[in-house]
Amino acid sequence: MATENPIHETGTTASVAVVSLLVLLPAMPSEQQERVLSNLADVNAALPGDGFLVASPDPLPADAYPSLSITQAPQSNPTWTLTAADFTSAYHLASQSGARAILILGSESASLSPLALRELADAVLAGNADLAVPCYDLPPRAGLVNSAILYPLTRALFATRVRFPLGVDLGLSMRMAQRLATAAQRFTASNQAEAILWPVEEAQVAGFTIREIDVGRRDLPQPAEADFNAVLSRVTGSLFADIDAKAAFWQRARLLPPPRSPVSRGVSSDSSADITPMLESFRFAYTNLREIWSLVLPPNSLLGLKRLTVTDSAAFRMPDNLWSRIVYDFLVAYRLRTINRGHLLGALIPLYLAWVASHINITASGIDGERHIEAVAAAFEADKPYLVSRWRWPDRFNP
Amino acid sequence: MRYIFATIVQTDTPPVPQTTYVDNSSMLHHMSDALFQSLYRVLSLLIAILPGILAFFVALAVFTVIGVALSALLRRGLKWIKMDERIARERGTADWGPSSSPSALIARVSFWACVLLGLVIGVSAFDASYATAATLPISLLPYLTHAVGAVFLLIAGNLIARYLARTVLIGAVNAQLQYARFLSLGVKWLVLVLTAAMVLDHLQIGGNVVELAFGILFGGIVLTLALAVGLGSRDLVSRSLESHVDRSTEHGGMPLTTPTAGPGESIRHF
Repeated sequence: MATENPIHETGTTASVAVVSLLVLLPAMPSEQQERVLSNLADVNAALPGDGFLVASPDPLPADAYPSLSITQAPQSNPTWTLTAADFTSAYHLASQSGARAILILGSESASLSPLALRELADAVLAGNADLAVPCYDLPPRAGLVNSAILYPLTRALFATRVRFPLGVDLGLSMRMAQRLATAAQRFTASNQAEAILWPVEEAQVAGFTIREIDVGRRDLPQPAEADFNAVLSRVTGSLFADIDAKAAFWQRARLLPPPRSPVSRGVSSDSSADITPMLESFRFAYTNLREIWSLVLPPNSLLGLKRLTVTDSAAFRMPDNLWSRIVYDFLVAYRLRTINRGHLLGALIPLYLAWVASHINITASGIDGERHIEAVAAAFEADKPYLVSRWRWPDRFNP
Repeated sequence: MRYIFATIVQTDTPPVPQTTYVDNSSMLHHMSDALFQSLYRVLSLLIAILPGILAFFVALAVFTVIGVALSALLRRGLKWIKMDERIARERGTADWGPSSSPSALIARVSFWACVLLGLVIGVSAFDASYATAATLPISLLPYLTHAVGAVFLLIAGNLIARYLARTVLIGAVNAQLQYARFLSLGVKWLVLVLTAAMVLDHLQIGGNVVELAFGILFGGIVLTLALAVGLGSRDLVSRSLESHVDRSTEHGGMPLTTPTAGPGESIRHF
């Protein structure tokens, strides 16, 4: 039985013999859209023989870029990170158009250079990688949740050095896209289309090849929600749940691949930042949330936190191993449901702010921010046996 | 004359000790009889109650055994059909509320449902046999049947109070409200007072006094909290009202981006 092809191509497809790459764009303002299309046309011209099919929920100017084939993507809510709905629709569109690979671009992707787009596309089109992940060049005080929790946890548990595991722009091979679409299907089926997926973790578990590409500077999209606590709880909760689901994989010891090249992103920051509100939040939380923390953290960590509360603002430094243990203990408590998960993630927020204050102090003292983040990640790696022990025998380590 | 003499002789005659002995013996006999009758009544009542008590324990034991068997059966059956994996597949990594796996939860609920059923049937059986003993006072029986419901109310109220107190405490601390603990305690006691009033009402103790006391206490706590929040967080309220203009400081907590002294050096968490 023949079914109607949902892809309605509106562009001139005469010049595009075979669609090799599907580019999925989010909804964005028209000037950004034009810039992205222009960049994509340049990339398409630089990759002869490869036809690009551009899909967007917005109507695109088809005539302006005859080399690109354009189609309508399903409408979705614009989000700051890729969601389950994005992966599902990308895979469906790609499989219907016969594309060999997919390039998913996030919000504000107009700031990505044509070279970055080309390298991302080339990595998955040439078959070198199943997952092409960009490595952004961010200011030293940007992406701090990623630096404090997402990157160190992903690196320590999944043995990968991907610096930005939370997907914003991605290149996918078809088998990787299929795997992600299957994972996304579970969420979309239960009406959670905006759930966050973790492509790096999926690729590692599947044994697929990951390639990280330096893409230079990019304006990272910010969450639309004004409530920082809600966003942090959502992202951290999603990662914790993913780690919980993949426990059988990460409990085995794996070798971390060597670093790609000397990192030159982070530079120390000279300007002073006001860390007082963060420290006040931490100290205030210590006096009020100590009872809840004591359900999750062992006495050693509580003692370390107590010392931090009486430390002077200028000398405030959270030891890397204390932070790694805190995150691991919260991860174990998330798994064991020691307290309600919403409460647990809410109780982590003041501790994260304390880490941010410490990181800012360290970078302000002249130490390279990226070096500090690498040191934190190394502390997470060193403490992985602690997590595995607590995960397997939680009763022996009850705080 | 002869009668008079006889009367004198009888009067002069010292009292026969045997007669006294007969009177004391009768009293003791009466006391003994009374005691025996009391004991008999107590024993009769006990014997009248015993079948009820026995029925209660038998019903409880039988249904507990049934609960254990049903729970084990369900646990194995659900494991065999891989229900946990199916639910995990369907729900993805979404948060599963309770602290146990779905199959363990179902098994546990079925066990406790059987125990509860046994308890209810036991109490009914006890009630039935109790009613036949017409001489027994029945004033305590309603408390026995209502006590079960009251205990459940008390447990549920405590759990809800603890949950809400923690929710308020964490939310208020993250919003940096200085009276976070006070607010949390207020909410906790609000729920506990409500629970206590419901329990007493369920047990039919106190009547109007409880209602009145509850109204005064509840109203007092709400008024105190309202005053505390109203007076203590004027800034927060005004910020919330301004949130339509500037949403970054809506909750009084940490904004997503914090500007710093240097140009382009703002703190961005994401």
